[in-house]
Amino acid sequence: MSQENVIEIKNLSKIYRDFWGRPKVQALKSLSLDVHKGEVFGLLGPNGSGKTTTMKLLLGLLFPSSGEISVLGKPAVDVDKNEKIGYLPEESYLYRFLNADETLDFYGRLFNMSKAQRVERSNQLIESVGLQHARRRQLKEYSKGMTRRIGLAQALINNPDLVLLDEPTSGLDPLGTKDMKDLILKLKDEGKTVVMCSHLLADVEDVCDRIAILYQGELKTLGRVDQLLESHEETNIRTSQLSPEAIKDVEAALAKHNASVKRVDHPRTTLEELFLKTVEESQARPGQRYVPPEQGAEAKTTEQPVASK
Amino acid sequence: MSFDPQPYNVLLALGHWLAVFGSCLGIAFFVAFMTGVASGRAGAVIGAVTSSFSDFFSTSCRRIGAVALLTFQESKRRKALYVFFVFAALFMFAGWFLSNPSNRPELQAKSYIVFVLTAISWLILPVMLLLSCWGVPEDIRLRSLHTVVTKPIRRHEIVLGRMVGYISVGTIVLLLMGVIGYVWIFRQIPDEAKPSLVARVPVYGTLTFINREGKQGSGVNVGDIWDFRSYVEGATKARAVWTFDDVSEQRVGDQMVLETKFEAFRTHKGNMEKGLLARFIFVNPVKNISLPGKPFEVKEYQDATLVIDRKMTEVDEQTGELKSFDLFNDLVYTDPEDGGNKLRVEVQCLDAGQYLGMARPDLFIRLADRPFAVSFSKSVLGIWLMMCMIVMLGVSVSCFVKGPVATLAVFTFLIIGQGMREFMGRVVTGQEHGSGLVESIYRLVYHLNPTVEIDDSAATKVMFGIDQIFKKLLWLVQHIIPDFGVFRMSPYVANGFDVSWEAAMVPCLLITLGYALPCLLIGYYTLRFRELEAK
Repeated sequence: MSQENVIEIKNLSKIYRDFWGRPKVQALKSLSLDVHKGEVFGLLGPNGSGKTTTMKLLLGLLFPSSGEISVLGKPAVDVDKNEKIGYLPEESYLYRFLNADETLDFYGRLFNMSKAQRVERSNQLIESVGLQHARRRQLKEYSKGMTRRIGLAQALINNPDLVLLDEPTSGLDPLGTKDMKDLILKLKDEGKTVVMCSHLLADVEDVCDRIAILYQGELKTLGRVDQLLESHEETNIRTSQLSPEAIKDVEAALAKHNASVKRVDHPRTTLEELFLKTVEESQARPGQRYVPPEQGAEAKTTEQPVASK
Repeated sequence: MSFDPQPYNVLLALGHWLAVFGSCLGIAFFVAFMTGVASGRAGAVIGAVTSSFSDFFSTSCRRIGAVALLTFQESKRRKALYVFFVFAALFMFAGWFLSNPSNRPELQAKSYIVFVLTAISWLILPVMLLLSCWGVPEDIRLRSLHTVVTKPIRRHEIVLGRMVGYISVGTIVLLLMGVIGYVWIFRQIPDEAKPSLVARVPVYGTLTFINREGKQGSGVNVGDIWDFRSYVEGATKARAVWTFDDVSEQRVGDQMVLETKFEAFRTHKGNMEKGLLARFIFVNPVKNISLPGKPFEVKEYQDATLVIDRKMTEVDEQTGELKSFDLFNDLVYTDPEDGGNKLRVEVQCLDAGQYLGMARPDLFIRLADRPFAVSFSKSVLGIWLMMCMIVMLGVSVSCFVKGPVATLAVFTFLIIGQGMREFMGRVVTGQEHGSGLVESIYRLVYHLNPTVEIDDSAATKVMFGIDQIFKKLLWLVQHIIPDFGVFRMSPYVANGFDVSWEAAMVPCLLITLGYALPCLLIGYYTLRFRELEAK
């Protein structure tokens, strides 16, 4: 089945030059890739690998040294394409003297939205990013997480078909990170295409359908996340709790097939999952506090008076 | 007094604008095209130019309004409006230093008016210069512009929005300053100076001279280096001849008011108690009428107002009969060449051995006065137009250089445009001796002062030829730099005149409009072809 491409990049190179036109840095070398409609695409790579340069070339903030870029069927420098694009920069480069309402109103006007549309969309977005309590405060008073949230809201003001997110989880706490990832998946469910670049691998793994890994400006890997992460050299079998005898029987059975058990342990959760679980439990039972085992009787935790200050 | 408002030649100005704008556009396109050819992208350059038309056709007032509103909020929160408080503080104490009861009333009024208008200009213009020169570069530095340009906003809408925003801020401050300044003048000015707060409406004529032999000629130079005025010798046939255009009953009324400000030059003391005697002679060359008026005294350093009745009489020297003349029917004549209604007034000095100095604005027909508020408002409008010019230049220059450089560039424009364009004009037209680039280097090397003739040889011909090319370039530079001197309207108001539309308002408006399009194009193309994120 042929998929519709939202972004097409062919042999894209970018060389940064000095004042005299002499080459300074080659940020991208013959990059070619496509982004399909409706997928979440991740650009991965260490610092200086060319992720943000690619993003800025897609947005027309930089001009390619060679190669071609097509975004939503139009050249990257075409302003009309921006009608259907939402962009969240790495740092939320917003006007710090505006408050949240004024910010969204300003960006709504740039999309030629009517007053009624702007008000409705602003209310909707401020609620969805959880900034109702701070909507009248100037952005210079916002924390980094709050700034990311309002940045995300401005990126979605036009209900875009293509969302470009540069380090979307940067500066967010785990809760904010989870919200951001949920939102990315929600955007995907709505049929939108999301391109994100990040060096936080866990975030990318959780939400991306396909990824491209860049290193020193070159494309090193491209493919579906599940296919890329699948290892065919080992097999995982997860069972309920086994007794030592049962484990010995399993080992014996495996030995018949010339296989061996490499590791026997309990499955581990991720730190992120543990953190989220703890926060959720804290919200469900306020006042509960951790007590070291030597101080408590049998339980690890105990109910504390709510009168904590 | 050198206050001499000259009518503005709109067609000549339009011609200059087309020449300068066309030349700059041609040079810019040529350079861009050649750069494109060198990099193998000539087609892209042409494509970019043609696609810019579609950008201009997609202009959205809402987007411009959004950027303008943002600019307004930004200026407000950067405390730009605090300049108003500096203005208020100045006015609280200025009265202590300005009041000088020993001065003549009109001079007292003048000092208050000049102070108010100068204070307004000096406070509003630097603030607007700084704001407009720093807005876009700061946006680029903080990268807030990146979030804006990734929306469907055209680059010229950003430039226009910025300009409109700054002009709105300046307009509000200027209006407040204007109103307060006007009220302050009326409250502070001494009672005896209040009648000087008028807006006289002058009709100036053209001035020619008749020499002592009674022939067309020029006035006498009495030895002043400054040749603003020319002099006519007393008790001779020498006369100064003013010809006024478009003199009609509807315009002038039943009584014609003539106002004079002649300068006396005495070759001997004469009667020091009295001024020099002079008289008007009304001449109709078509009907051969020459009607002398009553002699009047020319008091030095003072304006004189003479009211001429419509009906005038004269005793015929030969017959002794009393002949009556009607100003409009007998003295105003229709020029056979251009068909206009003209009035010719000749001025004669009657004291032998004395001289009367006259320049074009020294005699004018004074029409019905306008309220002082009108001329004051027009003067504030002049400051506003100058502010618009500075904002337009500041925004467009700041699209391609950083804030400090943009500030310096616009400030340089302002200084050169205020007082050095005239000198450049003299260099371009060759009135300044030895001013050619290569020629002046040659003179330096050979220790030749500018008045020494240089030998005519093939080498010097080449040198002068090269200088001509540089002079053409200098002509372009001279015309690129705006004439900020035109925007100064305080001399009109301070001298008690209405600000003339023909000589002051129209040039200001046309110059501002003339710079609007080039500034917009510079800003648009710079932002469009500039990599905002380049490292």
